[in-house]
Amino acid sequence: MSERMTRAQVPLEEGIIFPGSTCQGCGAAMAARLTFKVMGPNVIRHGIPCCPDQSSKSPSTGSVFEGAGPSLTGTSRALKALGRTDIKAVGFFGDGGVYDISFGGLMAAAQRNENALVICKDNEAYMNTGGQHSGGTPKYAETTTDQVGPNSRGNKFHKIRAAFAFAALGVPYIATASVAFPEDLMAKVKYAKDIEGFRVILIQTPCPVGWRFDPAKTIEVARSAVQSGMWPLYEIENGSTFKLNYKPKELKPITEYLKPQARFRHMTETEINEMQTYTNQRWEEVLRADEAKRLTF
Amino acid sequence: MVDYEVMVGNKACAVACKLARVNVAAAFPITPQTSITEYLSELYASGEMPGFEFVNCEGELPAQVIVNNAALVGARAFTCTAGPGLQYMHHPMASTAGGRCPLVMAVVHRGIKSMQPDHSDLMSQQWTGWIHLYVENAQEILDTIIMGYKIGEDARVRLPVAVGYDGYVLSYTAEPVEIPPQEMVDKFLPPYKPPRSLIYDDPEASIGRGGGFRSGDPNYAWMMHNEGALNAEEVIKEVFAEWAKLTGRKYGTGMVEEYKTEGADVVITAMGTVAGSAAAAIDKLWKDGKKVGLVKIRSFLPFPRADFQRIAKNVQAIGVFDRSLQPGMGGPSYREIKNTLYDSNVHPVVAGFVGGLSGKEVTVKNFVDLGEKTLEYAKAKKADAHPIWV
Repeated sequence: MSERMTRAQVPLEEGIIFPGSTCQGCGAAMAARLTFKVMGPNVIRHGIPCCPDQSSKSPSTGSVFEGAGPSLTGTSRALKALGRTDIKAVGFFGDGGVYDISFGGLMAAAQRNENALVICKDNEAYMNTGGQHSGGTPKYAETTTDQVGPNSRGNKFHKIRAAFAFAALGVPYIATASVAFPEDLMAKVKYAKDIEGFRVILIQTPCPVGWRFDPAKTIEVARSAVQSGMWPLYEIENGSTFKLNYKPKELKPITEYLKPQARFRHMTETEINEMQTYTNQRWEEVLRADEAKRLTF
Repeated sequence: MVDYEVMVGNKACAVACKLARVNVAAAFPITPQTSITEYLSELYASGEMPGFEFVNCEGELPAQVIVNNAALVGARAFTCTAGPGLQYMHHPMASTAGGRCPLVMAVVHRGIKSMQPDHSDLMSQQWTGWIHLYVENAQEILDTIIMGYKIGEDARVRLPVAVGYDGYVLSYTAEPVEIPPQEMVDKFLPPYKPPRSLIYDDPEASIGRGGGFRSGDPNYAWMMHNEGALNAEEVIKEVFAEWAKLTGRKYGTGMVEEYKTEGADVVITAMGTVAGSAAAAIDKLWKDGKKVGLVKIRSFLPFPRADFQRIAKNVQAIGVFDRSLQPGMGGPSYREIKNTLYDSNVHPVVAGFVGGLSGKEVTVKNFVDLGEKTLEYAKAKKADAHPIWV
């Protein structure tokens, strides 16, 4: 498990190139900055189609949309064959890639325990192309392909809990993180960096444009997701050992998270209650797992 | 010392990978390519190739992406597939060629509408920008895989090479194959040293830094790619000549291989294994006093334009045999030969035969008929409408 990182331990070096080309208040740009500060220069960054968050100073390569897992596999195997295991293969992918079109390939790479670190900047839809539904979209969220009307209440499905899918494959390390908890995020990247095998860090990165909230509030939105239990911060090792990193005495109501976002504004009280119940149940699961120090579901 | 072994085509392919000291191989098994992946697994298990990485991955598309990235990092990479597997690979194949990754892929022909062989699988990939070579026997598989790396890795080309050979008749049929000594192959094919790679030792030399190709002329990458594909002709000829000198095995110019074309009135063409049956037919035709030569097309992409413009000068007709057909458009080599001769000042009759689709057997008798028909077309100065079904 990662160890607490203090502000003094945050590297001063930047791993990304300024300026970026993101929208104002982009959560993914923050995630890129924090991640590549810790990764250092000796990495090969992999991308698949996604928002152009922040380019890295390290060599970068892009693959086809469904190529997340295989491109990391190709790189890490080649590094091994050439005796250059000092270089790390890192993927920085969006939720559309990780939860949707590249999901299968990542599962296969995870099962082979390829030596690669996958970082997902999760903004809960295909934001690069204007906000279409992905496997990372939460239930009831309105996207451009889950429109709200007399026949539709937005997205019909619950967000894929990808961490547990990867856990089922027993990979060495999985973590969730949030841009509102930068020390926690960087500590997890620092810890995952040097583990051998397949590692996954899922970072929730609010998108002011797609979620429709004030770009000044990115951190507040991200924080309320964690504080309401909608985006719990945890780590899973070897598919079993479990640790919850943030445990408030009492969860904030999910309305604190939902209300500032116009993608949820059509939700009725019944629908909000349904989501609240769902969130509470999931929260109890992770609390139980944390108590048992292993996955219990 | 020269080593011989009786082996199937797929084993010849795997042996070539070993001789070429492939670093990373990734593949998904598909009939009739399957046993290559098994031989590669055996090679890995044997420990005979230190540092060799073999990935039996979850599908053909991932296999293509894996070798693409391995080559970007600087590894010598190999993959193999067949028919529908090749079609599943189609999407990332363009990235491999566009990224100028000189790996080699064996395509064990399987039709796109049938389990049985024809050339529709590789022919359907013309737009992906690879070099396409077609071979006839197991020895030629082994030789061409090794030569494929030398051709693709040449600074003038820097493109991936697909080596196509017919499924079943070649993949699963055993014949004696000469295994060249490792020291000789090592001298012929030094380790792959890409001019640029994803390894960051020299920051200025790293590729993909920052935003990549976002500025300048968008046509530029295509212009360079086209140049590489055209340069391949010259490089193929050089590499085949060098290999012939080393091994004594000569495959014509590398682009085409001619058989009894000297003094012929007409020629017929063939690609892949059926060229063997065609050669037997040529012997019979000459015995009967019919002067018919054979041109085996070895490189389809780049197309042997210069060779056909030269051959056309000495014959009255060319009977083209295609083992694939684009419905409504015709046979690919027929169209290319006609296209090539438009730029020439000699215009022999060009007859377009199509057969052997979805594994239909093509016999020596078929090629005898094809030769005789081509002679008739030469006399009549006109051919029947394309396609002429065999």
